[in-house]
Amino acid sequence: MSDLNDDALDQLLRDQFEGPVPDDGFCDRALLALPARRRSATWPLTFGIALGGLLCWLTLHATPLVRAAWHDWFSGHPTAPAIILLAAMTGLSLLALAWSMAEAYDR
Amino acid sequence: MADAAAEARVDQALVARVLLAEDRRAFEQLMRRHHGMVRAQLRRLVNGDHGRADDLAQETFLLAWRKLHQFRGDARFSTWLYRIAYTCFLQAQRKKAAPSRSSTDSDAPNDSASRAPETDILALRLDIERAMQRLTQAEQIVLLHCVQLGLSQSDTAYVLSMPLGTVKSHAARGKEKLRALLADWRDTSLEEATS
Repeated sequence: MSDLNDDALDQLLRDQFEGPVPDDGFCDRALLALPARRRSATWPLTFGIALGGLLCWLTLHATPLVRAAWHDWFSGHPTAPAIILLAAMTGLSLLALAWSMAEAYDR
Repeated sequence: MADAAAEARVDQALVARVLLAEDRRAFEQLMRRHHGMVRAQLRRLVNGDHGRADDLAQETFLLAWRKLHQFRGDARFSTWLYRIAYTCFLQAQRKKAAPSRSSTDSDAPNDSASRAPETDILALRLDIERAMQRLTQAEQIVLLHCVQLGLSQSDTAYVLSMPLGTVKSHAARGKEKLRALLADWRDTSLEEATS
């Protein structure tokens, strides 16, 4: 009786396998059947950014907070409005960084 | 191992070219690199029906083309293609509702003692084929991927969407059955055949 070890059995099975199939025109036929790739639409992102910017401007342009914050910041006074503005900008930058890194990782 | 890593890097670069530059020729290269093994896998899965295997292979590459942005590079590109091909095969099976592949052929592998040596290898191949058909479909499919296509057990688990433990147990049980079914072959015959 044969005591067939694992390696010998694997080798037998591999020998049994025919291996890669020759092309015989397969690739040409398959390539002809490929449709055009759909580009992912960029307008929703652009539209979203524009809309977000517009809403921010509409909300903030009437309030003196932003103007005061800019003024205090540029004159070197770390007042509450300047610190709030700085914190908001830092937070948004970090969010944008995290989003970019996640997108880059996905690709 | 280094070759496999280099091949994987080439595949990754080609995938990136398709995604970033809409490069059809890069996809053509990917297809030319992998169609042979994908079609071989499908031919085995559909029991040698070449036409059906090629139809499924075409569907596989069409899906790969459409879903290429979903390829994350966690697995090798070839493994990802095997997974798509296996999914296409399963979907076709469900549509067809084919009867079980498990063979009803109860012929035991033949005794090799009385054969001429030159016919031994041919007879052994025939017996292995018969023995394979007496395994369950899951065992056959796991052995096809693990042994014949040369995937690791974890890659096989990924392709077949099966827990790793299940893959290991199917592989071990399948091999055990094959050993029992091929037990009539003498050591010498097997050595000749595998050398």
